[in-house]
Amino acid sequence: METFLRTWLEWPAVAAFITRYTWAWPLGETFHFFGIILLIGGVGLFDLRLLGVARGLPVAAVRRLLPWGVTGFIICVVTGFMFVTGVRANVPSSPYDVIRSNPWLQLKFLFIALAGLNLLTFYVTGMDRAVDKLGPGEDAPALAKVIAAASLFFWLGVIYFGRLIPEAL
Amino acid sequence: MWEFLDSIENSGFATYVRDTPSVLGYSTVLAFHTFGMAFLVGLSSVIALRVLGAVPQLPLKPLKGLQPLIAVGFWVNAITGLILTSLAIHSLLRNWDFYVKLGAIALAIVALQKMRRHAFADTNAPDDAAASPRARFWAGAMLLFWGVAVLGGRLTAYATNIRIETARAVLVAVVLLLLVARYLVRRANRTIMEVRV
Repeated sequence: METFLRTWLEWPAVAAFITRYTWAWPLGETFHFFGIILLIGGVGLFDLRLLGVARGLPVAAVRRLLPWGVTGFIICVVTGFMFVTGVRANVPSSPYDVIRSNPWLQLKFLFIALAGLNLLTFYVTGMDRAVDKLGPGEDAPALAKVIAAASLFFWLGVIYFGRLIPEAL
Repeated sequence: MWEFLDSIENSGFATYVRDTPSVLGYSTVLAFHTFGMAFLVGLSSVIALRVLGAVPQLPLKPLKGLQPLIAVGFWVNAITGLILTSLAIHSLLRNWDFYVKLGAIALAIVALQKMRRHAFADTNAPDDAAASPRARFWAGAMLLFWGVAVLGGRLTAYATNIRIETARAVLVAVVLLLLVARYLVRRANRTIMEVRV
């Protein structure tokens, strides 16, 4: 398993590309930030509405922003994948060793997984259908509020642990 | 003048934040700077997207309710930005990219205020009304300046040639992505109109 992961995670072409083109890493960083902005603008606003912010917005309309949030997440995943697989361009370690040894990166992955599970709970419990009917000024059910608060907490955690990753490189 | 700046950079607080091995120092301040940016730029961009017609289903007036959170994002960004500047005040004040970032932030804030004034001016407008051309102009300007500010912030640590190459690469990538986004938004809006008919 270790050999498989060690081989699979190592993308020499990505590391070589980052080394050859000095703009590649800062380009990835810039788009990682654009992704975070879209994620908080889309998913974050949906969570905030369920928590009672901008209550004049009907939830079904706010849901229209979710594709923007998902786009932001995809941008973050693609650029994050570039940072991990091409890490050898910046530090003399393999991606596998970095993942194994960096607690902040592990926590970031854990929080992304928890955010995913939280989203699954939102759909499995039927909260997605329940909140869709909420018009202007209407309050979300308590469970939907708990899920929204957890979602914000997990995504802010993902950003926080992402910022700590260089501490353990 | 430089002696005064030296005293800030070498103060006990700046030294602690910069040199402490604890994660609660530099990295945590940097993380809060990112939180502030995410809320300030993320939520103001939602208003801009609605004003520009990218999300026409979103009623405009209730978006006014986001203003307190946008203000919180701004102040978190400003306070953490001042702390981060105090840690390397000498090198930052000699860095032209730092001034590009500050200038872009100032222009984005002006554009945000102008967009708000024009977008929320007509209190009797129906929820699905299109925003005025002036509001749309300032929304586009704000997004442009936020983009430059984020790029400038990312590039402060790099050499000048890398900054210029990266700025070119970002410009090309953003134009390509905007063309794709424009196509997708138009297609989605056309589908919604067809469903309504």
